[in-house]
Amino acid sequence: MSNRSVHRRTVLGGAAAVAAGWALTGCGDSGDGGGGNGDGTAPREREKGQKIGLTFWSWVPGIDKPVDLWNRKNPDVQVTVEKVSAVNGQQYAKMHAAIKAGNPPDLGQIEFPVVPSFLLDNGLLDLAPLGAARYKDKFFGWQWQQSVFGKSVYAIPQASGPMGLFLRQDLFDKWDVPIPRTWDEYETAARAVRKKGAWIETFAPTNGNRFAGLAWQAGAKWYGTHGDTWTVHIDDEPTRRVADYWESLVRQKLVKTIPDRQNAWYKDLQTGAIPAWVGASWGDALLVGNAPGTQGKWRAAPLPQWKAGEQAHANWGGSTTAVFAKARYPKDALDFAVWLNTDPESIGLLIDGGYGFPSAKKGYATTDLDVDKDFFGGQAYSKVFADAGAHVDTSWRWGPGVDTLYQRLGDAFTDALADGSSFRSVLTKVQGQTLADLKGKGLKVASGG
Amino acid sequence: MSRVTLDRRAGATSRPARRNGRGPRRPASRTEARNARTAAVFVLPFFALFGLCFLAPIGYALHQSLFITERTGPLGLGGRQREVFAGLANYAQALSDDRFLTGFGRVLLFGAVQIPLMIVLATALALLLESASARGVPFFRSAFFLPYGVPGVIASILWGFLYVPGISPLVKIAGDLGWDVDFLARGTVLWSIANIVTWQFTGYNMLVLIAQLKAVPGELYEAARIDGAGAWQIARHIKIPLIRPALVLTGVFSIIGTLQLFAEPMVLRPLASSIDSGFTPNLHAYSEAFVGNNQHAAAAEAVLLALVACVLSFGFLRLTGGRAKGRG
Repeated sequence: MSNRSVHRRTVLGGAAAVAAGWALTGCGDSGDGGGGNGDGTAPREREKGQKIGLTFWSWVPGIDKPVDLWNRKNPDVQVTVEKVSAVNGQQYAKMHAAIKAGNPPDLGQIEFPVVPSFLLDNGLLDLAPLGAARYKDKFFGWQWQQSVFGKSVYAIPQASGPMGLFLRQDLFDKWDVPIPRTWDEYETAARAVRKKGAWIETFAPTNGNRFAGLAWQAGAKWYGTHGDTWTVHIDDEPTRRVADYWESLVRQKLVKTIPDRQNAWYKDLQTGAIPAWVGASWGDALLVGNAPGTQGKWRAAPLPQWKAGEQAHANWGGSTTAVFAKARYPKDALDFAVWLNTDPESIGLLIDGGYGFPSAKKGYATTDLDVDKDFFGGQAYSKVFADAGAHVDTSWRWGPGVDTLYQRLGDAFTDALADGSSFRSVLTKVQGQTLADLKGKGLKVASGG
Repeated sequence: MSRVTLDRRAGATSRPARRNGRGPRRPASRTEARNARTAAVFVLPFFALFGLCFLAPIGYALHQSLFITERTGPLGLGGRQREVFAGLANYAQALSDDRFLTGFGRVLLFGAVQIPLMIVLATALALLLESASARGVPFFRSAFFLPYGVPGVIASILWGFLYVPGISPLVKIAGDLGWDVDFLARGTVLWSIANIVTWQFTGYNMLVLIAQLKAVPGELYEAARIDGAGAWQIARHIKIPLIRPALVLTGVFSIIGTLQLFAEPMVLRPLASSIDSGFTPNLHAYSEAFVGNNQHAAAAEAVLLALVACVLSFGFLRLTGGRAKGRG
């Protein structure tokens, strides 16, 4: 074990000396005129009038509609959508396997947090040499930055998921519980709801995604870089605060601990056994689809704050359209990715499908996003998420191996719930494991602090 | 099931042929050479498939398990990566992983409880159906066997609905009776899975045992009955000893199946907060390969799993083999 890491470190040290930072990578890539495929197969350029086909792996509901529109408008570049399953990250397993096997599609739908994992595989094409930078201003800056590393641009942002609090207004009114604006008030509300025989919501131990969002809100920064070294700060003050908070709710039995977004949870939403959900903007579609009987009773409220009057917000999910390293016609793939996520008609169709919050700055009105207004009793609920999106701490960065991190968190929280160990110990454990995981992947890492 | 019978038949027919070939050496006649060639043509597809579908993957897994991926380039992103020989490092890592080892302990405990239970149940059902003379026997035989026709994933989804509180009628009825059950709690979920497996495979094992029971010559029973043996004594002293080889066979299958436990925990995992990513060794290897994207570590774990399965099943055969072999 130790032998191995020492060996790796020497190799990495040498490489770092040669490459010395990001600037060089950018230059090197533009030098070979169109993105490094890594294996020497040069991507082709489409000749004028030549008809080509691109494949696109996605799971976004309703994605075929904007793609059909593109195909009608661009007879020469026909895009074929292949639907992939998004259950338990199966789509990424499939993509990684395809990269390893050497036959990935041209384009793929990839969420923000896992972009670095694909870079680790050399799976994505650097779009900077193709002139991607000129599209930067079309998108919200921080979302654009999520897939920018150094001077390289690895994906075109599609949508984000600003977080908020969904709640059953009718039940909160009936039980005379005010809508919580701070986490303290949230705990008070949880106590009041529990007295009425319900649980305010569930702390799903295996949902690392949401936990990351909550830590993000509290001011944590899990990943960072320092020179050519990754830094990991999962066990930091803000995250501990979030862990302590939820541990206290769990130990007081004020929240359930069932997994979210599965049958028992949907049933609880339908019956009012769980009248709230700290979720993200795309959660409206989940509520509408799985608790249709509660139409008109839901509202969206801003995420509770740690300090009254603050405006700290976070993001859960969000995805991009990325071009794979083996794409045969990178320029056309890039054109399609940009069109898909900026064209007003395309955005309109994506919103109808319920894909989240657009990353593009223009091309839609906030009211377009209130597709399920009736369900939320006529509330213009997107405003809540638009405000949240405007106050997301945009310095948050993702690192490689986030899927493994989520799994580690899930396992450790599961253990903690079973054996009563503290949530803080979960953070300590996962911090250590993540450092080891990244080292095991041949990366230079350091503990942040 | 079908594979076993096929193997047996193949063994039965090829044995005399082989004996002929090994007979006193004499110059091979032209017909014999032709026969040998014909035989080779018939046997070739089997060996080709055997090599392609069985030996090649094992060889590839062994090969993969000895390497690690090394990345260069700033921050490890966008740089070159290559496979580097790492010796047994992946094995050392797997063996020092608590979760992986706990998973092994878990399936061993599972097997120690579930396998005997299932085989006793299957034997009881087989004996009952074999001795019953009513017209309903074929119906019951099919009914008991039916769950085997349901794929493990579907069975788990099906049972999942019966386990999840809020949806399950079982949990509701128990609740109404004042009995607070949680099929998916940390301590019970393993046995909830054992229930699914038992439900699925008891009928299958029963059928294997019935097949062997059918082969027992009727005169033995007749003789026993004349000697004054009752139904229980016949079962105890004649039937069970005579179906011993089938019992050993189902035992070995069950041991291997237990170690491979995967579909059930995989399907129940999103429903239960109590199943972690390393609940069984197979699930751990899956997570390593498809979440951690570390195929080398997964390959090492798969090889270890195969080794343990090998040791346990051959150990079991040896343990029970002495007498059973004679009857083979």
